[in-house]
Amino acid sequence: MSAWDTIKTAFFGGLTFLFFFVIWIYNPFVHHTEYEVPSQMEEIINDPKAAVEGRELFKTMCASCHSVRYDGMYLMSVASKPEFKKILDSFGTLIRIDEKTKEKVMFLPRDVYEAIAMNDLLMLKSSFGKIPPDLSTMYLSRGEGYLYNFILKPQEVLPGTSMPAVMTGQEENTAKIVAYLKSVSEPSKGEKVKRTIMGILVIGYFIAMGFLLWIWRKKLLANMGYGH
Amino acid sequence: MLGKIVDWIDERAKVRDLYQTQMVDYKVPKNLTFPYVFGVLALITFAIQVISGIILLMYYKPIIAHAFDSANYTIMKEIPFAWLFRHMHAAGANFFLAVVYLHMFTGIYYTAYKKPRELTWIVGWVIFFVLLLTALSGYLLPWGQLSYWGMVVTTEIPTSLKDAPVLKGLFGAIGETVSIWMKGGFTLGDIALGRFFGLHVLFLPLTLMALLGIHLYLVRAAGISNPDGVEIDKKKEGVPFHPYMTLKEGAFAMGYLALFFYFVFFNMHHFLPADNFEPADPLKTPPHIAPEWYLLAFYEIFRSIPSKFWGFIAFNLALVFLLILPFLDFSPVKSARKRPLFFAMFVVLVISTMALTILGLMPPTPTNAKLGLFFAAGFFLFFLSLPVISFLEWGWYKAKGGQE
Repeated sequence: MSAWDTIKTAFFGGLTFLFFFVIWIYNPFVHHTEYEVPSQMEEIINDPKAAVEGRELFKTMCASCHSVRYDGMYLMSVASKPEFKKILDSFGTLIRIDEKTKEKVMFLPRDVYEAIAMNDLLMLKSSFGKIPPDLSTMYLSRGEGYLYNFILKPQEVLPGTSMPAVMTGQEENTAKIVAYLKSVSEPSKGEKVKRTIMGILVIGYFIAMGFLLWIWRKKLLANMGYGH
Repeated sequence: MLGKIVDWIDERAKVRDLYQTQMVDYKVPKNLTFPYVFGVLALITFAIQVISGIILLMYYKPIIAHAFDSANYTIMKEIPFAWLFRHMHAAGANFFLAVVYLHMFTGIYYTAYKKPRELTWIVGWVIFFVLLLTALSGYLLPWGQLSYWGMVVTTEIPTSLKDAPVLKGLFGAIGETVSIWMKGGFTLGDIALGRFFGLHVLFLPLTLMALLGIHLYLVRAAGISNPDGVEIDKKKEGVPFHPYMTLKEGAFAMGYLALFFYFVFFNMHHFLPADNFEPADPLKTPPHIAPEWYLLAFYEIFRSIPSKFWGFIAFNLALVFLLILPFLDFSPVKSARKRPLFFAMFVVLVISTMALTILGLMPPTPTNAKLGLFFAAGFFLFFLSLPVISFLEWGWYKAKGGQE
């Protein structure tokens, strides 16, 4: 390769690499808002035991307005309706069996749930101005930093929000609730390890195959008299 | 045993002949450079998309009450390993477009669209267009906020025709009709989701497959182009396609798959954007709506031109210029290696396209709009300069004693 060829290759290769780095990995031209979480609280958020406690806390502190349908957590007022259990049996699918209570945790399709919860949802709308969202995927869309700060001080993070400040001064409990929401959205620790091992094996397989193909080709071509 | 089975098939289907003529006796230039691999990579990615798509199709429900939950609960949490196929499908869509763009730029750089390969380029352009439609329709299916509002913005684009300088009423009516026809009503609902689902899983992939077959046939029929821009005498200079080229590109493909699976397992935050994990809400407009990165260059051309009508015309023109590229460039000389003027303009094109894409993600401030206009001009300058360059090159070609 001549010097000019090297320059061209480096130019186009470098430009392509830089371009995909900006659009796929980190874009410095777009504003990113970072929300800080104290390191102690972050430990709680990452603790699976805290997530179990967080579920109980969620039931008492949040479930009067918010559901987490992906974890079989419904509005208190809806879950206590006499016909609700029958509806779960008819339309629900099993998520898991609760370890402590041995009760079935059931998933209910959105339309079925909203139909039975409509009155309760509208009541919440009349007092808060909007229907409080279901929080099943909120961890994925907002991230732990936003959730922790928002639950603790709603008005500071999102001025004008209709979310009441119910957790003021309870940093640890807030972190436990975030831990619970995280546990709903993220795979468990064991599953994550499995996925990481699987990923490394797959990537390693393809790299190894690439090298083997290259070596095989060199040998084959030498035998055929092409050299390189 | 295996040999006997192949013998049995060979007696009836003549597969060994096919293999000999199509793989071994098929000769390609020895000096093919690395970027020639992008065609093969696109083919591999298409296979990945079909396989992962079929698996997702089994669990996805195309009605708005269930679409979001089927994507984020059933597929991501309930069915074992379905997450892997969703990751592959989402990353694959991005990789597919990326590889196709690289393939197109390679084609432009080596002027692989010139005679006798014009038809290959044109069919390739149709593949690109169908691919954009596939990506666009597939993006709606998870029914998140980005899916919904992205499609709202897309289906509103034809209504910019009503800003036409003449015949406002007529253009307005056409734009409005097209917009309603795309949406299947005045708002995006079950009908829109159903039709985009149908397009995405059946019509568009089948069209792609057919076009891909034609594209590959045309590549074989016209022969592969050459980085040096000269047609080789295949009997003397060519190397056998197999094993010379297949193993080389196979090795590159393995590296590509390694990179692809790195993203699938460890870096999905761009391909499954956070904002799309919020269910679609027609009453809540998200603060930033931008199309996916592969449309941003066109979107930025549309956005930075102050008049919506002319913006609409300009971004359609960008697509049309790409289509008629073989006819804009009528120079007898092939490959940017031998065309210094063309090379300079190619650099302008590459930088303009990249800058337009990055600008498309930024807020539309006046400075950014001016920059957008500047780079849009750079984009069009490439296409408009081609006839001039070709004219000059004909002169040089003849002065050097070239034959017509």
